Amino acid sequence: MKTLSIIFLVSISAAQVKPVDGLHDNTPRVFVLENGKIITQPGQVIDGGIIVIRNGIIEAVGKKVFVPADAYKIDISGKTVYPGFIESYWKREDKKPSSLNFGKEKKKVKPAPVTNHWNERVHPEYRLINDFQPKEKELETLRSLGFTVAQVVHNKGIFRGQSALIHLGNWHPESVIAENGPAQIMAFEHGSWGDKGYPNSLMGTIALMRQTFYDAQWNHNARTYYNRNRDKTESPDLDRALETLSAVMKSKLPFCFETNQELAALRVQKIANEFDLNFWLKGNGYEYRRLNEIKKMNTFVIVPLDYPETPDVDSWEDALDYDLEQLRHWDQAPDNAARMIAAGIDIALTTSDLKKRKQFHNSLLRSIERGLSKDDALAALTTIPAKKLGLTNLGKVDKGYTANLVITDGDYFEKKSKVTEVWIQGKRYMIKEEPVHDVAGKWDITISGGLNLNATLELIQKDNKVSGKLVVDSTKIKLKDVENEAHRFAFTFPGKDLDLEGIVRLSGTLQNKSITGSGIAPDGSEIKWTASWTGTLEDPDENKKEESKKESSSELTPLFPEGAYGFAEQPEQAKKILIKNATLWTSGSAGILKNVDMFIRNGIIEKIGKNLKVSGSDVYVIDATGKHVTPGLIDAHNHSSAFAINEGTQSVTAEVRIYDVLNSDDIAIYRQLAGGLTIVNILHGSANAIGGQNAVIKLRWGQTPEGILFKEAPPGIKFALGENVKQSNWGDDNTTRYPQTRMGVEQIIRDAFAAATDYAEALGLAGFEKTFSNLPVRKNLELDALVEILQGKRMVHCHSYRQDEILMLTRIAEDYGFTIGVFQHVLEGYKVADRIAEHGAGASTFTDWWSYKFEVIDAIPFNGTIMNEVGVLTSFNSDSNELARRMGKEAAKAVKYGGVSQEEALKFVTINPAKQLGIDPYVGSLEKGKHGDFVIWSDNPLSSYSYCEQTWIEGTLYFSTERDAEMRKHISDERNMLIQKILVSDDKGGEKSMKPNGDSHNHFYSCTEGGVH
Amino acid sequence: MKQFILAILIISLLFASDQIPAPRQDHPILLKDVTIHPVSGPILTQGEILFSDGKIIEIGHRISRLPENTEIISLPGKHVYPGMIAANTVLGLVEVNAVRATRDFAEVGSFNPNVRAEVSYNPDSELIPVTRSNGVAIVLTVPQSGLISGTSAAMMLDGWTWEDATLKMPVGMHIRWPRMTVSHSRYVRKSPEEQKKERDKQLKELDEILDKARAYTQSISAEKTPRQKMDLKWQSMVNVVKGELPVFIHANGVQQIEAAAEWASRQKLNMVLVGGRDAWMVTDILKKNNIPVIIEATHKLPARRWANYDESFKTPLILYEAEVKFCISANGGAFQAAHQRNLPYEAATAAAYGLPKDEALKSVTLYPAEILGIADQVGSLEVGKDATLFISDGDPLEIMTRVEQLYIQGRKVDMGDRHKILRDKYTEKYRQLGLID
Repeated sequence: MKTLSIIFLVSISAAQVKPVDGLHDNTPRVFVLENGKIITQPGQVIDGGIIVIRNGIIEAVGKKVFVPADAYKIDISGKTVYPGFIESYWKREDKKPSSLNFGKEKKKVKPAPVTNHWNERVHPEYRLINDFQPKEKELETLRSLGFTVAQVVHNKGIFRGQSALIHLGNWHPESVIAENGPAQIMAFEHGSWGDKGYPNSLMGTIALMRQTFYDAQWNHNARTYYNRNRDKTESPDLDRALETLSAVMKSKLPFCFETNQELAALRVQKIANEFDLNFWLKGNGYEYRRLNEIKKMNTFVIVPLDYPETPDVDSWEDALDYDLEQLRHWDQAPDNAARMIAAGIDIALTTSDLKKRKQFHNSLLRSIERGLSKDDALAALTTIPAKKLGLTNLGKVDKGYTANLVITDGDYFEKKSKVTEVWIQGKRYMIKEEPVHDVAGKWDITISGGLNLNATLELIQKDNKVSGKLVVDSTKIKLKDVENEAHRFAFTFPGKDLDLEGIVRLSGTLQNKSITGSGIAPDGSEIKWTASWTGTLEDPDENKKEESKKESSSELTPLFPEGAYGFAEQPEQAKKILIKNATLWTSGSAGILKNVDMFIRNGIIEKIGKNLKVSGSDVYVIDATGKHVTPGLIDAHNHSSAFAINEGTQSVTAEVRIYDVLNSDDIAIYRQLAGGLTIVNILHGSANAIGGQNAVIKLRWGQTPEGILFKEAPPGIKFALGENVKQSNWGDDNTTRYPQTRMGVEQIIRDAFAAATDYAEALGLAGFEKTFSNLPVRKNLELDALVEILQGKRMVHCHSYRQDEILMLTRIAEDYGFTIGVFQHVLEGYKVADRIAEHGAGASTFTDWWSYKFEVIDAIPFNGTIMNEVGVLTSFNSDSNELARRMGKEAAKAVKYGGVSQEEALKFVTINPAKQLGIDPYVGSLEKGKHGDFVIWSDNPLSSYSYCEQTWIEGTLYFSTERDAEMRKHISDERNMLIQKILVSDDKGGEKSMKPNGDSHNHFYSCTEGGVH
Repeated sequence: MKQFILAILIISLLFASDQIPAPRQDHPILLKDVTIHPVSGPILTQGEILFSDGKIIEIGHRISRLPENTEIISLPGKHVYPGMIAANTVLGLVEVNAVRATRDFAEVGSFNPNVRAEVSYNPDSELIPVTRSNGVAIVLTVPQSGLISGTSAAMMLDGWTWEDATLKMPVGMHIRWPRMTVSHSRYVRKSPEEQKKERDKQLKELDEILDKARAYTQSISAEKTPRQKMDLKWQSMVNVVKGELPVFIHANGVQQIEAAAEWASRQKLNMVLVGGRDAWMVTDILKKNNIPVIIEATHKLPARRWANYDESFKTPLILYEAEVKFCISANGGAFQAAHQRNLPYEAATAAAYGLPKDEALKSVTLYPAEILGIADQVGSLEVGKDATLFISDGDPLEIMTRVEQLYIQGRKVDMGDRHKILRDKYTEKYRQLGLID
């Protein structure tokens, strides 16, 4: 689209400091827009109204207002006027950021100022305006969509700096409304696996955010202390980032977090709560999936209209690779804004995230067609963002408001309407050059001279392009070389149909729908001609098309989680459950009980015995005759259900937490439930010696990350030893990070605990000798976690293989006065089982993996049973989201290799891991007072031929083969319905089709996730 | 130099397993009072099985006429099964996958029809005794690389040399079918267009290879001068184009399977499908074209997020019901070479999810023998077949069952392995410490 901006004046004189270049420009700046339909604000319309603009300000608006004599009148009859739209999140996608470079883009950059934060992704002090040079084309695009004002945000970093507010007119100092704008922009940015800079995972990013907020608070306190005690205190480092941040936090200015999916919003809330932040969300289009949770945040959300492309489902084989979740998103995404508004969430709309910004209007129209109200949409573009962003005097057409207007040739929220001009600060910007003459329609034409003819001209005009036909009786001759410019109209046509050999040329002057002109016939003779407009052409097809294209809102409602096997409604706890006549593997002192009943009330086991009598119609009775019932299985080592596993950039990352990145939507949860698993210990990976903090979850499918957390579980942390830690199999590029030997691993861990001890002493914690410190002690999340280990409050789960390193770690722990919780994998544990037992650690091992890398050539399947026999508390774990589905059968390997009894073997996946995780007071066995977490098996759970029929957690049925069968039917029907809908729909996603997820979800998680073997 | 020293070190560490290959069967053996599971026929309780010179002589009750020197072994309560067959692995071609020096399963280049798995099968690999300890007697050792990977061989898991261990070679020409769909994974660097281009190039290449192989085959049989010069690659394709050596096409996606079946049928090749993740969707095509399937693992994740959780557990059942010939293998990757002993449990899971138990047992014994073309020798207990069998205390598909003795062609296999040796060594440690009895 060609746009033209007419600049009525070059400068605004009032605030001008700069000397005038040349002559003073005093072009009049008083205008009256007459006869337009004025939408002054959502829901308020003035038909045939008047707007008076003086020096960039609206002086008057109304049906009948005083029109000053000096005002220049502009007739806008047939047009509609809206308040200028506000782009709430203009992030420029320039590839090379102006003054900041990260990651692989890094070239030779100037050394950063010494007062910058140590981490280059942390720059809250950054002033975007210093580097902001919008291209005229970008401004034109935004204006063509009706935007006149924008909040501009930086596109790099975690703490990105304050946003700025600008007008979208020609770029001048007066365009800047606020350079230190309303919000500090935040994003969960991180490098990817292989990048050496911290953080390279989402976990690390969140830890860095939290540490930085603490640092900002500390920095403020330390500086205050220093200023009062300069005579006896060293100065804390000057850090502009922390100073800025502390000021933003104190003033309660909003932090606007960019989110990429619905669970990210929940993550933001946790951080905001911890630091009592005022926060906004830059949304992502998936909010409809967790509407209740987002509603409860009571915050402002800036929502993109980035709708998915259409899936390519033309062949059944290709269709397979689209997840149900993708198909459902295709159907529901355009309803997101309307659903958010209906839920009572304050939203603004943005063009951000669209592949092409110009798609914005089309996307918006789709949503309107599906039921988003026009007033709500307008509010989300004007009044709401104006209020939230603190843009006083913007967002309405009202007296005293800045003269920012959008003028359209019809209802902006209807198809075919276009923005014809916008006004910004009283300047007029024409969006589209209007055709000088609209010649579309039927014309009577009379030709005389070298050719005598009365005929009809049928002309079609699209923008400035004209095509048409000359209709002589029933003969239609196509016009060529049609020109319509500068008040002149010209064309040629072949003479063949009129028995002339050659081309006829005609040209003339247009005025008031008539044309007078001359021309030359093929034989060279002169022609005179006139034409006059008689009416419009009818286009019979167009209306029909419109009808069939109508979209309606999705009939789907969100599933929890969204996609296949999600619940339409969360399953509820059965208050009273009576399991009758089961073979009960208690994993407790009662052993295996035959033909017994178990009664569970409010999710807690109340009674186990023969022929229990429980009366009442509200008792949910399960006849378990012939069935085996076991405790819910527990996996002490798993890496599913998290958005990040390794923060492998540093050798010690005790500050990162799996808790921060739990993914409650991972299909692994459902699949593991289907194998009788109920509790999983999600561990950080083994990329470094001291990894991150773990999270123990219950597989409460359908709930939020907070909802799946096993809150009673004591905290833990991952350590790792051996090849992964020293990067043995990482390739030749990774040979410099300390440590590269097992000797170095030992020193790294000792060093960490030495630092933690110093920290605890500085803090004067109980059990540590207080040391004197001048400045307030800086809160250090990494050392906090290590101190908790020293205090015995945080359990160490240590990835280990060889006997030397296992022995070594027990010695370090004993030197520092704590006990290792669990040696994980511990494949040579059988060589030092006496030491492990003496130390008091547990051992969680693979049953029979070996020989995949050098440090496991001595791994044997008897490992678990030997350790068990020598007195080590032993469990079997999966370290795999596939094997985690078959832990019952995995336990049978304790019978095969080591001859333990079946009863004892099951304990390797029930009570033993429960004890190791410190959750045995609640789970791990079927005994009175414990959680009603149980599994119903078709047969002996250790038998290869048995399968899981039902999995219950605290009296709630989370999996059953019966419900699974219903879900399959539903999934199949719904896929079919959606695919049919896609096939009959018009392709609105553009030329490209949606990328299928295919098997990309099918990631085999293990502790070396990210590329290490 | 450093790498060289490392390699030497590793080789010396892993030089040879401690087990001694068994001598030829030098006297007849009768196993009696056992439950015999011939797999090909009904179960015999209180049965007897007689084998001599490596072959099964008789199966029945109270075999009356025993040859001289027959060793009679009474095994009340025990069971006899045919040795199991792992139909897709790199066992023998890798020791420790993370150690490059021990990797011998993937030759460089995309067209390697001439490489032969059996020649670098390491009979002293520590992995071998561990695998056979659980009743797996035979493996199909498969080269892995490029488009055409080379020929596989059926190897018996006992023997002094690779020649001793070879039961049949070549078994099949292994082809890895190009990916038909575009990958959008962030780990894939190539654009969708580049991927399609590459796929189309490979598909074309497959046809061209056969054209050239046919030309070569014609040329060597033509009586003409000058003589066709030897070309190792084309020479190795001669039996393929003659239809004498089957092509084992590794394909998982439904589009791959459809395309491979079409190609094999058009090119008149004898095809076996390996992998077959999506095979259950196109059983009609497999049946119509008579294509057997080596189902690679039931213990794997469903292919797509929306797929049934038990999709891979049920694949054998669906093939069985559709009357498609199939067998079950474990994962063929190098990481899993050390874990082939768990083969029977892959089949057991199929049984847990609906496949009849006897079919599950056949899917790791008789069916792989048939598909690999070695059923005249192994795969079931029948008179005239090899005495490749094992004695167990129960159903070998149950994890809790223990395999007590394996015979390969009548040779009594050493049931020790690295794991048992290390177990015994450290049990002794705790005995010395008085921690266990």
